[in-house]
Amino acid sequence: MRLTGAATAAAAAALSLAGCAGRQSALSPGGADAAALGTLFWVMLGGAVLLWLAMNGMFFYVTRVNASAMPRRLANGMVIGGGIVLPTILLGALLGWGLSILPDQRQPDDGLTIRVHGEQWWWRVEYWPEGAAAPVVSANEIRLPVGERVGFRLDSDQVIHSFWIPSLGGKMDMFPGRETYVSLEAEAPGVYRGQCAEFCGESHAWMAFEAVAMPPDAFDAWLDAEAGAAAAPEGGAAERGAALFAREGCGACHAIRGTGHVGQVGPDLTHVGGRRSIGAGRLAATPEAFAAWITHTDSLKPGVRMPSYDHLSDADAAALAAYLAGLT
Amino acid sequence: MSARHDPQRRRDRPAERDEERRAFREEAESLVRITAAPTIWSGHFLLCYCAVAIACAKAGAVPGWLTGGLLAASVAALAAIGWVGWRAFRQWNVTDTGDFSNPEGEAEDRHEFLGHAAFLLAIISFIGVVYVTMPLLLVEGCR
Ligand code: HEC
Ligand SMILES: [Cu+2]
Repeated sequence: MRLTGAATAAAAAALSLAGCAGRQSALSPGGADAAALGTLFWVMLGGAVLLWLAMNGMFFYVTRVNASAMPRRLANGMVIGGGIVLPTILLGALLGWGLSILPDQRQPDDGLTIRVHGEQWWWRVEYWPEGAAAPVVSANEIRLPVGERVGFRLDSDQVIHSFWIPSLGGKMDMFPGRETYVSLEAEAPGVYRGQCAEFCGESHAWMAFEAVAMPPDAFDAWLDAEAGAAAAPEGGAAERGAALFAREGCGACHAIRGTGHVGQVGPDLTHVGGRRSIGAGRLAATPEAFAAWITHTDSLKPGVRMPSYDHLSDADAAALAAYLAGLT
Repeated sequence: MSARHDPQRRRDRPAERDEERRAFREEAESLVRITAAPTIWSGHFLLCYCAVAIACAKAGAVPGWLTGGLLAASVAALAAIGWVGWRAFRQWNVTDTGDFSNPEGEAEDRHEFLGHAAFLLAIISFIGVVYVTMPLLLVEGCR
């Protein structure tokens, strides 16, 4: 029994440590902002463990080792020193440290601002490069150049969401009608994961996104392509899919630049096939996933503001999927 | 209800009535004193947060004179709390009696207990004002 207990504990420890690595972890930082918060966390954790050991050591000492009455002065000194002076100094120091980190995470951007608007349950994204008169519109994915501080201007549609890419920095709430700001600087290229961090309704847990940190050149090329209109995908299925998109009325909610579809209710789909995920991180962006999303929307994402097109035949769904996956 | 609160008896013994009134007034005063420090703390808190919120909403930045004024208000609040705390400490009278807990429930004990409570509240209010002041020094701007 003991052995299985130990094995379970070891497995649990290994699992929870594995949770610390990975692309959505404040403890495996991809930038200085997250690193600063990670250090803060480790110091606080270490301090808490030390305090816990000291407190319990003292409890143990006065109840088991030496249970005789303590001199009055010593007891008073411990209560005042350990109960008032020490916590005041420790909390003051932690507060000062935390406050000194805050301005770093709100530094102005180096040129690129990204506006993110929280919707239920997805992200409307606009890239505003320096001096831009109009934004590059996208959704459900954030791309940012490595080595540059990028500003995020955040707000929300109806309820409070929270924008958080744990590997890149702290979280920031998104309010309806009020803009908040946070800035992030990725240091290592990579694909991180962001997650809405404020409960916002049924599909809150499915409100995530991919955050891709790219070398600056690659980012500029990507942004140029993203700014362009959609190139109509070629091939029989994809062309039939384009016709189905029009017939089914998808364009009432979705915009595809370069076509007549200009709906603004749902995410912009101009380059949806080039995204890494669909449905705000719900599924990987494969043709099969597109078909599943269109036909099982509400079971994949409870409460979703897009109807399920479960009347579509498999062939029609596949054609639509081919069209969408081709919109790179 | 004890005989002390019997109006009939009060009218009979004017001297006792005066004594009682005096004692009551004194305790009422120390009840005010007990809330003085937390009141200063909350006033300071409201002043800082409202002033900075209004400056940020209207001007988008906190002007230097406002930060300076709020820091001065912090110093004043700390001084006032210090004074309240000192008076409460005297009222507690722990150095004379060596008595921490004032358990007897007599008038003298109650008096000292109120001092004790006011003193502890002054300590926490002092710390509170210091913590509320720290963002003024460490976080500039409105973001
Ligand atoms: C009533 C409005 C509405 C209609 C009609 C609609 N959608 Fe949507 N669609 C949405 C909304 C809202 C979302 C975002 C859902 C979420 O992730 O919470 C969405 C998401 C999507 C996504 C994922 C986009 C991304 O960035 O991940 C795809 C793909 C999509 N819709 C395709 C379609 C297709 C194809 C049709 C027509 C067959 C269609 N939609 C019809 C509102 C609509
Ligand atoms: Cu949300």
